[in-house]
Amino acid sequence: MSAALLVRVLRDPASVEALDAAGWTGLLAAAKAERLIATLAWRIEGRQLPHGVKPILLDARMDAEREARQALWEADRAAHALSAIGVRLVVLKGTAYAAAGLAAGQGRFIGDLDILVPRAAMEAVERALMAAGWEWVKEDAYDDAYYRQWMHELPPMIHAERDRMIDVHHTILPLTARPKPDAAALLADAVAIGDSLWTLSPEDRVIHAAAHMLADGDLQGGLRNLWDIHCLLHDIDRSTLDRRAARHGLRAHVRQAERLADALYGGGAALTAWDRVVRARLLARDGWGRETRKLLVFACYLRSHWLRMPPLMLARHLWTKWRKGHRPR
Amino acid sequence: MRHGLTLRIGPATFRIGSAWRTPIEALARLYAAYPDGGGTVADFTVRLQPTSTLRRWVRPSIFITGDHGLADAAPMSLAHGLLAAEMGMNLQMALGWRRHLLLHASSVEKDGRALVMTGESGSGKSTLAALLGERGWRLMGDEFALLDLDSGAILPFPRLVSLKNQAIGVVADAVAPDRLGPLLRATAKGDIRHMVPRADAVARMSEGAMPALLLFPRFGHEAALRPVGQGEAFMRLTQASTNYVALGEPGFAALTRFVTGVPACAIDFPTGDAAFEMVGRLWEGGA
Amino acid sequence: MPQEEPALDRTRIYRLDPRDHCRICPLDDLVLLYHVRSGQTHMVISPVPEMLEAMADGAPLSASDLYARLAHDYDLGPPDAAVAQIGAQLQALEALGLVRAA
Repeated sequence: MSAALLVRVLRDPASVEALDAAGWTGLLAAAKAERLIATLAWRIEGRQLPHGVKPILLDARMDAEREARQALWEADRAAHALSAIGVRLVVLKGTAYAAAGLAAGQGRFIGDLDILVPRAAMEAVERALMAAGWEWVKEDAYDDAYYRQWMHELPPMIHAERDRMIDVHHTILPLTARPKPDAAALLADAVAIGDSLWTLSPEDRVIHAAAHMLADGDLQGGLRNLWDIHCLLHDIDRSTLDRRAARHGLRAHVRQAERLADALYGGGAALTAWDRVVRARLLARDGWGRETRKLLVFACYLRSHWLRMPPLMLARHLWTKWRKGHRPR
Repeated sequence: MRHGLTLRIGPATFRIGSAWRTPIEALARLYAAYPDGGGTVADFTVRLQPTSTLRRWVRPSIFITGDHGLADAAPMSLAHGLLAAEMGMNLQMALGWRRHLLLHASSVEKDGRALVMTGESGSGKSTLAALLGERGWRLMGDEFALLDLDSGAILPFPRLVSLKNQAIGVVADAVAPDRLGPLLRATAKGDIRHMVPRADAVARMSEGAMPALLLFPRFGHEAALRPVGQGEAFMRLTQASTNYVALGEPGFAALTRFVTGVPACAIDFPTGDAAFEMVGRLWEGGA
Repeated sequence: MPQEEPALDRTRIYRLDPRDHCRICPLDDLVLLYHVRSGQTHMVISPVPEMLEAMADGAPLSASDLYARLAHDYDLGPPDAAVAQIGAQLQALEALGLVRAA
């Protein structure tokens, strides 16, 4: 199980020196599949590495640096677009970590630009972005209605010239999810980075990462999300975090994220039975980069929808998706 | 994966895994003269896996993926397994290679200088390179040319030459049968037959050459020749590169150096012989 | 560049942020700009490279100010048309993020 090997190396970089060529190839394949290859590169910098490994890690770091640069440029462009309507730009996840120079951003792959704006400003934000060159990714009536009615974000938009996506959120969980985070509090406590960007407060960053991973997903990419959480937890007072999580109705999720991060990447933690199931799902990746334990993966996919939606809606949503050929990969 | 093989082609090492034996056997035969990649850490992993568990046995259907994959890649039949493996390796290079500027171009070398040819598929660039490779030039690659970011040299990527449709008859006549793979009929790109490059192309696969001429060939037209300006060459090469954007500033530096230093020409040609004559004239004429 | 709408603000002030400096490579028929911050390559022709060079000191300038700077070194023809063209180019450059409103 190479995901387990990857986790071990991230926790204990010295252990990498015992690997043979086959072990390395498996480690690198798993790290690429989990989008942790550049994080791995940072983590094992300066170690004794066999011939052929260094250039692969260098490539990964270069890619991550370029992604960070591009992500910050997208944030700059979005800030420029929103400056006209007086909405401040709160960036989330990868872009926020890169902008704030956090350890969690080191080597992190950054995809879309995720931003958080007040719900009342959504329409103005939508218009301002469209005026600045963003457009809808797809004209699909069902998805559109679904997004607007039930999701915590606008349907994804893409910039016509730069080909980069933006996700505009007004809160951090779908409206159908049971926990109801206090979006106004998230925005009120946001902290400035530089002269045109804001991020969530350090505690809220952890809470958002935990909510995203455990209350709103099928755990795809979970090892990376958990690495984010592990890094974000560093400079945080855990009891302050606990109080803050309770306010957002996410105490159980945050506590579980803490246990899993400590168990996999830190000094260890006592796990519950459900934690162990999640851990097994997180580690379901072999040395060819393939997902193993298909049933468990599928169960997590189903659960991720159940987490967000009442059962009748779930049936309708899955059926609509499947008819169109979507399947969990 | 049940079956596997590690191959080194030019500067890149691939680990190819397959749920079936036959694609790996075909690769092993055609890549027998290449350096053994066993025991090394692979740059890329390629996976040929069933589209579903059932599809491993019943009307076997290959899903091509690996470190880099396309979610919507069309599945291929097991009869085209060799092509699937080649496409899997191409996919890794196109999406993942960062150590050189990767140009979708063929290249050949003579007297230590490289001729680079780029164009859409069907332009004749691959066939032209394959034929020149049998006529006194060293084939460096029929699909990808690697532009070194520091030295400005073109480095070889001499994978199997992929002959398509009419090119199969034209080239296959000129080479020994043991250098040819099986004829793959009715693939998504028509009929395809793979050809092993000449021994010197494989033996010298780490040896680059400074580019001396850039051609934009176009097969099937009246013979015509037109110099191409640096701006047009730059634009067409960015379109022909899969990693220009990913490389950032070093990619910009390498590509501008290339277009300001290498003369470029568009050539239309009706037949192979006409192309040889035009290439020869341009090459001698101070390319 | 497409024809700009007539409502062009000639008093709008722009400046070139040093962080937005480009790598410049003149080719035989046009000029390439590599904007490091965005990783984007732009193909431009006169007067864009000359405008960016004239703004390189980072001073805040209107289209008319920039015209005055450029008129030192270049023959720009009738001032009215030249200022309008410079104004339109500044707008386009701002949309690309190469210059910013000051």
